[in-house]
Amino acid sequence: MPGDDTMEPLERLLNLVGLLLDTPTPLTFEQIRDTLEGYQGDNIESVKRKFERDKDMLRAYGVPLEMTGTDAWDVEQGYIIRKERYYLPEIRFTPEEITALYLAAQSGSETTDAAQGVRKLLYGAEGGLLTGAAGGPLAVESDADQGRLLAAADAASKRRRLRFGYRTATGAGSERTVDAYGVVFRSGHWYLVGHDLERDAVRAFRLSRVTSEPIDDGPGSEPPSGFRAIDHVESAPWNGSGAPVARVAFGPAAAILAEGSLPGATRESVREDGWTIVRLPSSDLATLAPLVLGFGPDAEVLEPSSLREEIVRRLTETIDA
Amino acid sequence: MPERRRTSAKVEERLARMLVVVPYLIQHPGTTLEEASSLFDIPVAQLRRDVQQLFLAGLPPYGPGDLIDVDIDEDGAIWISMADHFARPLRLTRQEALAVYLRATEVANTPGMPGAPALTAALGKLREALGEDTLGDTAGIEGITGGEAPPLLDAVRTAAGRRERVRIAYAAASTGERTERTVEPEAVFASGGRWYVAVWDIDVDDERLLRVDRIASLEPLGERFERRGLQGAGRPLYTAGSEDVDVRVRLGPPARWVAEYYLATDPSDEEDGSLVVTLPTRQMTWLARLFLRLGSDAAVLEPAELRAEIVAQARATLARYQG
Repeated sequence: MPGDDTMEPLERLLNLVGLLLDTPTPLTFEQIRDTLEGYQGDNIESVKRKFERDKDMLRAYGVPLEMTGTDAWDVEQGYIIRKERYYLPEIRFTPEEITALYLAAQSGSETTDAAQGVRKLLYGAEGGLLTGAAGGPLAVESDADQGRLLAAADAASKRRRLRFGYRTATGAGSERTVDAYGVVFRSGHWYLVGHDLERDAVRAFRLSRVTSEPIDDGPGSEPPSGFRAIDHVESAPWNGSGAPVARVAFGPAAAILAEGSLPGATRESVREDGWTIVRLPSSDLATLAPLVLGFGPDAEVLEPSSLREEIVRRLTETIDA
Repeated sequence: MPERRRTSAKVEERLARMLVVVPYLIQHPGTTLEEASSLFDIPVAQLRRDVQQLFLAGLPPYGPGDLIDVDIDEDGAIWISMADHFARPLRLTRQEALAVYLRATEVANTPGMPGAPALTAALGKLREALGEDTLGDTAGIEGITGGEAPPLLDAVRTAAGRRERVRIAYAAASTGERTERTVEPEAVFASGGRWYVAVWDIDVDDERLLRVDRIASLEPLGERFERRGLQGAGRPLYTAGSEDVDVRVRLGPPARWVAEYYLATDPSDEEDGSLVVTLPTRQMTWLARLFLRLGSDAAVLEPAELRAEIVAQARATLARYQG
């Protein structure tokens, strides 16, 4: 074959990976040059540059290309790809498992890392993917920026400290320094859970409210024993509060909206006029009054009377404003 | 030299594929070009070219028996036999492993996801096989499955899978009315913890995005439809229309969530911690009710008609309590 310029770069890279995977001992640049046509040519400097570029590209893609001494005396440097670091370990997935992973990775709107990762795992698909999953890929999306989510998960899994700007739900902005302990997904939102240094307490930060790229600020700390990240992500306002019950009547169209948007709502009965009576596991005025008011004239609180009075008070205030 | 950069990016992409696709093809002999193309998201022509190039690559003989043989038969089935070193794929990078892990956690913790137990099992295997070297300590990566799946999710999904028209009763939050519609459900997806379905609404002859939890009843009609390619995940949940009115509002700190929850444009932070935004909408009734809910935490700046609508809704609601 003539000069190096006509050789396809892909071919050259594949050859290099094959050669370095196959060699039992590290190979020097000269030895590689002798074996691979792609690095032959008269201009040593330009060949060397080409080799460096190829090496960088392979490493960027995750190929564990090592440079190491060729013998015990480290006289010469050589290159090798160690099989145990290169190859994906044997993972046996059932067709259900690999299909679920594949569909999950396909479902995001911008997750190429996940899709790439799962393609590597397809190799272990015994019997291939299950086809014809009903309704096509089941898509799920979160409101977190993928880059920030990865940065947060990376920090949590390595116990790093992060610095970032944060704005609370009510708009107060500040700079936070947090020892990352975990990331938690709940109802479409991702949260970073960690020890907030200034507040000296564990806090959960919704990633969509992080206002700047998180910066790595060195090693963090270990979470206390028995720590569970999910315990620190707030649940719906009345979950598990064991509070008394409110009864609310909803108009025919509003009932299904109410049942869908008020956690813990249970249907009690349907009245003769078509209105549905729903029980809500709380009677907290500040929480419930706004939620019921959002249904306008399609909802009426039946009890407790304190909630009725609160609604009347708020409506009067709105009318008089 | 933009031309050259593009070429090199392409090489990287092709290399990435080869180190992953080739092991799959070796492991699964007889996979067709079509199958591999859809699994790995590579155009058929490109895949054919890359696979054939393997044969031409002329890998140097590393040892006896290092024969590379690539064959694509007339049915498009691919047969590769070659040296062991490409018979297994490259490990996942840390970035890829974490991304898979996060993605699967999202999906497994969305209520109503049929593959959730399989996903959880798969994550366990992944964690065990890749170990802390690649994944780090994943104990903190968790999900909470909040709430329950909408009762008709399976029925909607089945109809979408079978491409079957359905008659539904739907409660529109925007108008507070319940309507009967005939729709063609295409793409089912979850966003922000809720399930949606993109449908073609036969009655209005237009695309609509519906929330699955607001479908009160569903009746399959037994008629098949052709997909129009409606977009599912990744679409905006609200599409601005020409009839939209730009409503300018001031949201006090307790009401700032509105700007996170609904489509809001032109935000401006005020000294007192409140936020002024524009909410494009054509549903004044819905917006008036939102303001009943927000009460003194929010104020309408314009238009003035909205203010009148709020008062009208407040009076109508108050009447229920004074009957």
